[in-house]
Amino acid sequence: MPLPNPSKGWSSSTSRLLALYSFLFVAWSSILMGVLYFEVSGYLNKLTRHSLLQRQHLFAHMSGKQLDDALIASQAFEERSFDAYGLFDAQFNPLGGQIRQVPAELGLDGKIHELSRCLDAEDPRMPRDSCDAVALKVADGRWLVLVRDNGSLFVVTRIILHALLWGLSLTIIPGIAGWYLLRRRPLKRIRAIQASAELIVAGDLTHRLPIAQRRDELDMLATIVNAMLDRIEHLMHEVKGVCDNIAHDLRTPLTRLRAQLYRIRQQAGDGSPQAEHLDQAISETDTLMARFRGLLRISELEDRQRRAGFVELDPRALLEELHDFYLPLAEDGEIHLHLKLPQSLPSLHGDRELLFEALANLLGNAIKFTPAGGQVLMRATEDAQGLHIEVQDSGAGIPESEREAVLRRFYRSEEGHRHAGFGLGLSIVAAIVDLHGFELEVGSGELGGARLVLHCRSRVAA
Amino acid sequence: MPAMDREAGPFGKATPCIAGNAGSHQGTARYSFFYMNFSLTRAPPILWHNRVLTRRPGKSMLRVLTIEDDAVTGQEIVAELSSHGLDVDWVDNGREGLSKAIAGGYDLITLDRMLPEVDGLTIVTTLRNLKIATPILMISALSDVDERVRGLRAGGDDYLTKPFASDEMAARVEVLLRRNSVPMAQTRLQVADLELDLISHEAKRGEQPLSLLPTEYKLLEFLMRHAGQVITRMMIFEEVWGYHFDPGTNLIDVHIGRLRKKIDAAGQTPLIRTVRGSGYAIAEPV
Repeated sequence: MPLPNPSKGWSSSTSRLLALYSFLFVAWSSILMGVLYFEVSGYLNKLTRHSLLQRQHLFAHMSGKQLDDALIASQAFEERSFDAYGLFDAQFNPLGGQIRQVPAELGLDGKIHELSRCLDAEDPRMPRDSCDAVALKVADGRWLVLVRDNGSLFVVTRIILHALLWGLSLTIIPGIAGWYLLRRRPLKRIRAIQASAELIVAGDLTHRLPIAQRRDELDMLATIVNAMLDRIEHLMHEVKGVCDNIAHDLRTPLTRLRAQLYRIRQQAGDGSPQAEHLDQAISETDTLMARFRGLLRISELEDRQRRAGFVELDPRALLEELHDFYLPLAEDGEIHLHLKLPQSLPSLHGDRELLFEALANLLGNAIKFTPAGGQVLMRATEDAQGLHIEVQDSGAGIPESEREAVLRRFYRSEEGHRHAGFGLGLSIVAAIVDLHGFELEVGSGELGGARLVLHCRSRVAA
Repeated sequence: MPAMDREAGPFGKATPCIAGNAGSHQGTARYSFFYMNFSLTRAPPILWHNRVLTRRPGKSMLRVLTIEDDAVTGQEIVAELSSHGLDVDWVDNGREGLSKAIAGGYDLITLDRMLPEVDGLTIVTTLRNLKIATPILMISALSDVDERVRGLRAGGDDYLTKPFASDEMAARVEVLLRRNSVPMAQTRLQVADLELDLISHEAKRGEQPLSLLPTEYKLLEFLMRHAGQVITRMMIFEEVWGYHFDPGTNLIDVHIGRLRKKIDAAGQTPLIRTVRGSGYAIAEPV
């Protein structure tokens, strides 16, 4: 029985962990960089304003020639792209400096303004983008415009962004590669575990999950499951043992009970009022004994892998015999029993008596569950996989939900107790089918009722 | 089942068709004596339940040895077989059983497969090695077909699994006791006006030929070979079909019903009787 496949990898725990880790890493580094950027830019801004303020104070008290000289001197020391100035007369006509025009957004109030677009100068060395600027009226009535570029801020921003990008790509690309490599090993182990589990589900309770001796989570889990399996196997043996012991222990008392009832019945004589009750009691005991024999039979079939009776046999003769055996019963129940066999059938490797019993059970059930006037079909077909023997009827069929369960011991349909002894017969069939290494498929057929197919693999290693 | 109620009344003598020449074919004097008695004397009517081997004058009761370690089962076998007019000795262990069986004088042995001291299988093997041919009915808690085959191969004549019905057991004992009563050379079987030709496989009731299917023929032959004896459904399934599981439902009844329709046609005295709870028997009507 195949177990549901493990995930293809996207939802494996390694992937999830890596994805979560990457996400957190990106988020944290972004926050870190953001804070860094915020702090650095704040600090740089402060520096800009500070230097602008210094210059403003310096130049504010100068006038005339002294101012001109001081401005030219300052230009010699300062990098032009960072600091610039423009000198204007009272009518705002440019008198000197790199700035030839008072920026429109600049308020003429002596306070520092931050301008988003700085100057329309053609000089590439002039600041173009955002800058801090101040316009002040110097002592001789001229206007001085001082500008300090925020360029260093841009550089810092770029550095931080670069750092972020490099950091992320260097984290994510090896991360994805690592994820791909990492997930392969656990998946391989999961597949091994799955294969073992499938064997266990298929009925080999002695099998255990593989342990890699790495003492990791998977090993821990496998160890836990194995301990659980030990316990389950133990319990199964116990239950089976109890079941078999009960059967064995009750054998003798049942024989005695039947015998004593029979004896009392003999003494009661015919026609006495007790006689009828006793007959009923005896008949019930017989049913009980038949069930018991069935139970014991199943456990015997399950216990012993007996293949002594295995021979090459002709399925045609077997099926015809079955047909003849059940025909009178079917006819009495006004059921049409058909047998459809192809021209040639391959021989079958198995125990004739057990196969007869199994097929008799299927056929008996089919007839039992088919109402009068219905049909029962027994058919054999052959294909590459081997021989398929099929029994189907026009009865009520087996509900899909119960198809697997009907092969279990003591199973009874939930839709009322239609017939007694339904489960045990099919359990015997299942045990026989298992013994042969065949497969029994429960489904619905074209006659509208149940369809049970016995897939006989051409040769099972004996 | 209405058929069940039919057989209630007393049932007359059961007359195997070969009664007339029985003596010359019997394996032992006891069998033939019993047989002649059974067939030739008009014994008082016998109830079906206590049918058969009873009512033999005096000394020569058939003797059965029961080797069974469970006391209650042993007592039950003794009681059941005694009620069939058999003289039953019961021992509860293998060693004593084996020595008694070797000492001889028994017409049949019922043998538990699993016994303390000496195992049932060993007893059979030992007896057969000593050329002691006493029929043996093996009774076993091991129902596996392999076990059955092993038991029969060792020399057991029939195999019955626990839990068993005592009437089933008794029916098998009777069949075993009378196994040699119909010689293999017999070519014709007859019960009342029903005749079966074993060579041409033809059957006729009075002057009316019957057309029987192969299985029906086998079934009829089996019943007629054991005319006057109760044959259980399980025995029929084992003998006619050759399988040893419980086919369940009333399959054998249906087949008997078929046969009955052909043999006991309307207006004729029914020959096949249902024995309540046990099985069937073919016998001459009273």
